[in-house]
Amino acid sequence: MYKFPEGLYADIRIERTEYAAYSVQNNEVRNNSEIPINGAMVRVYDGKMWYTSVTNDLDNIQQELDNLAAIAEPNPDILNDPAVKLYEVHKDKVLRLEGDIDNRRITRKQREDLVQGYIKECIDDSIPEIKQWYANYNQGHIIKEFYSSKGAEIVQDFQQCYIGIWYDFVVDGVPYSGGKSFCFMDFEKLKGHEKEVIEKRDRFLDYAKNAVDVTPGNYVCVLAPPVTGMFTHESFGHKSEADYMLNDKTLRDEWVMGKKVGSDLVSICDNGDMFPHRGYIAYDDEGSAPKETWLIKNGVLTGRLHDANSAAVLGEELTGNSRAQDFGCTPIVRMTNTYMDAGDTSPEDIIAGVKDGIYVYDVIYGTGQATFTMKPSMSYRIRDGKIAEPLRVNVLTGSVFETLFNIDAVGSDLEFCDISTCGKMGQSMPVSDAGPTIRVKSLNVN
Amino acid sequence: MTKEKITNQFSASMINIEENKFKSFSKDSRTEHSFRIYDGGYAGIQLIQGSIDEAEGFRQAEKNLELKRPYNFTPETGSRHRDKSEQKLSDKELMELAHQVLDYLNTHHSDFIFKGEVSAYGKTLSMSNDLGLDVSNTDYRTSAEFVFKHKDSKDLIDGWFSIGQRTFDFKKFTDMADNYLTNFTKTVDLPEELIIQSQYYGFLSKMYDTLDAENLALGTSLFSGKIGEKIFADSFTLTHDVTDKETWFTPFFDGEGVMLPDDKYTYIKNGVILSGYADKRIADKYGVPHTGSARMNMADIPNNGFLNFRIERSDKTVKELLDGRLTVVPVMAEGGGFNEKGEYITPVQTSLLCDGEHILGRLPEFTLKGNIFDMFGKDFIGVGSDDPVFDDKQILMRMQYSK
Repeated sequence: MYKFPEGLYADIRIERTEYAAYSVQNNEVRNNSEIPINGAMVRVYDGKMWYTSVTNDLDNIQQELDNLAAIAEPNPDILNDPAVKLYEVHKDKVLRLEGDIDNRRITRKQREDLVQGYIKECIDDSIPEIKQWYANYNQGHIIKEFYSSKGAEIVQDFQQCYIGIWYDFVVDGVPYSGGKSFCFMDFEKLKGHEKEVIEKRDRFLDYAKNAVDVTPGNYVCVLAPPVTGMFTHESFGHKSEADYMLNDKTLRDEWVMGKKVGSDLVSICDNGDMFPHRGYIAYDDEGSAPKETWLIKNGVLTGRLHDANSAAVLGEELTGNSRAQDFGCTPIVRMTNTYMDAGDTSPEDIIAGVKDGIYVYDVIYGTGQATFTMKPSMSYRIRDGKIAEPLRVNVLTGSVFETLFNIDAVGSDLEFCDISTCGKMGQSMPVSDAGPTIRVKSLNVN
Repeated sequence: MTKEKITNQFSASMINIEENKFKSFSKDSRTEHSFRIYDGGYAGIQLIQGSIDEAEGFRQAEKNLELKRPYNFTPETGSRHRDKSEQKLSDKELMELAHQVLDYLNTHHSDFIFKGEVSAYGKTLSMSNDLGLDVSNTDYRTSAEFVFKHKDSKDLIDGWFSIGQRTFDFKKFTDMADNYLTNFTKTVDLPEELIIQSQYYGFLSKMYDTLDAENLALGTSLFSGKIGEKIFADSFTLTHDVTDKETWFTPFFDGEGVMLPDDKYTYIKNGVILSGYADKRIADKYGVPHTGSARMNMADIPNNGFLNFRIERSDKTVKELLDGRLTVVPVMAEGGGFNEKGEYITPVQTSLLCDGEHILGRLPEFTLKGNIFDMFGKDFIGVGSDDPVFDDKQILMRMQYSK
């Protein structure tokens, strides 16, 4: 198919994507579009440097490959390069989203009917505090092809369908925004969530009317499952990405395998092979198959996430975590579906064990340095084991080196949150975060 | 029927550096077109990437008239072409520059691990229609951007610095790197008075929803009912500025082809809110001034939100504004942000003590707080006339520590 150059490793990643969107704001259609985007990244490696080219002219890929090969230095021993040796060679076609589930079959009318159905059920003009509302739908379907000079030939697909119903409330002159979103691979699964949207709307409205400012300080915090999912991703997930520590002796010493890094209750796993969760991949963007990788098992560091380069440098196994946002981006080490494993305590018992603390119900975003952060959307005070008044909390922070040890209860209610997008080095990536209700003995709350 | 076409062409060359070594050389070249047909109060629009026959592009756009996307405004006219590019580097010259940059960092700051890129990026955005609109904006930037961490640090990243210029000033780059890194391992105490010296883009984030003319009209802005009122400091003037002095690739025309007098529109003058921002549709709907703020929506009708906020600079330098006081330069301040009441709280993971020009040492972690009315009101000191610590505008304002 392609003529790969001698004495060099090369791979080609071709993507054909079809996006569509339909959105309504205050009864006005604000977007109704269909966009095809095709493009490719061509890479050549000579053992010293990578040479890459990005193009949206798919008729010119062989020429791009030849041009790159001309500036690289051929290396007769390239197949013995430590990273090249690790590249897996799969010949596979994994198209799990063909047929009725294929969202390219969804018509504009079907998208419009879905959105208008939610508007009919969930927009209530009689609520005076609601000043604006938004109903947004979008979908994307992508076919990815991967070819390498070692012989890999992979075709795989991915898709997602999203709907979000959001409201702008004004209470006592202060504007609040809140709503509920869903994201699934299957369009049909977006239907029938009107009650959940209304419940969330009413909860936001109650929060806006009654929230009091938190007094900054350290608190016992109980995290609801979506919050635990983000906590898992931010507090520890990013530290498990091995590209941060290739030749960094300090980090390699800090995160040495077998080290106790958290309480016995903490087990964290990443696994890209979890269809239909949002972080699903059939193969990563270097052509490696995803693995179930236990990063922490009972509080002990047991694994980390790799691309071929980091696995070669650290002398560890490939995990299938090399991912690129799209054809314009070089693959880097990324999480896929990352979850904290369930424990055996009921969420009710976890809350009942708190005399004075904070229940973090939902979260907007987080960050993942040694001091991780999370910005909650709604929080509540816990008094004498019961959820009490809503609290206005702007940010939670903690040290990864301490907080994993401070988890003293892990719930039985593991839930996946299939709506997260992770940002790293300018690339956005769909991921799934998951976890059960957990209790942390101390987090800083502002 | 009126035909309109927008073309966005960009090309980039990048040398990627990982752990103080060259990792890759990358080329990127892409083109996208938006074909628009206006007819009978509707617009048919189609985005197409890559090369395409123009007649086919307009045929697809015309078919999209069936969607009845409303657009009741007369397309713009006028001709202007702005090419701000200066130095254009060949790939060989860019590689030589990358060697120079990396050699300097490895030689002078060998206790640090660097990850980043040296890149050259060029872009031309053009828009034309058969009523006579013919505009284009071309620019070209050479950049060096790095995240860094000290070899003994247990964090993933300790900080970052970057420079992007039309003509790359190597001395400015090395001065910036030296300033950030020379005293980085010297730990110092937080000053009692907290004066922040920083880029201001993040602090202006709340302005995007509060100055949205639709939010102002519907009461969902913190500034609703405050048009004409003075709510910020005398010295605080906020302008949408598309002169693009700093090479952000900001075109001088908006997504509807609108060009502003002097390439500026002022929203807040000497602390007084003058108006919200509105594209033609929002201006028409709410009876407010049209401010040339339509986004370059390539796939559908224009939508409101093209903004390039600039705070008017003081005629004093940073040092003069400080008058002997010290500042805190946040380097890593991730998480938190503004809440619905306009209160700003964010943890600062890495920050540096500064005398306005020179970094004096590294500060402990802390949490920063303030609120939008004070930050740009009683606590606003100004934006210096110079760019002493990093290659961008530097706001000075008092803020508070939180627990």
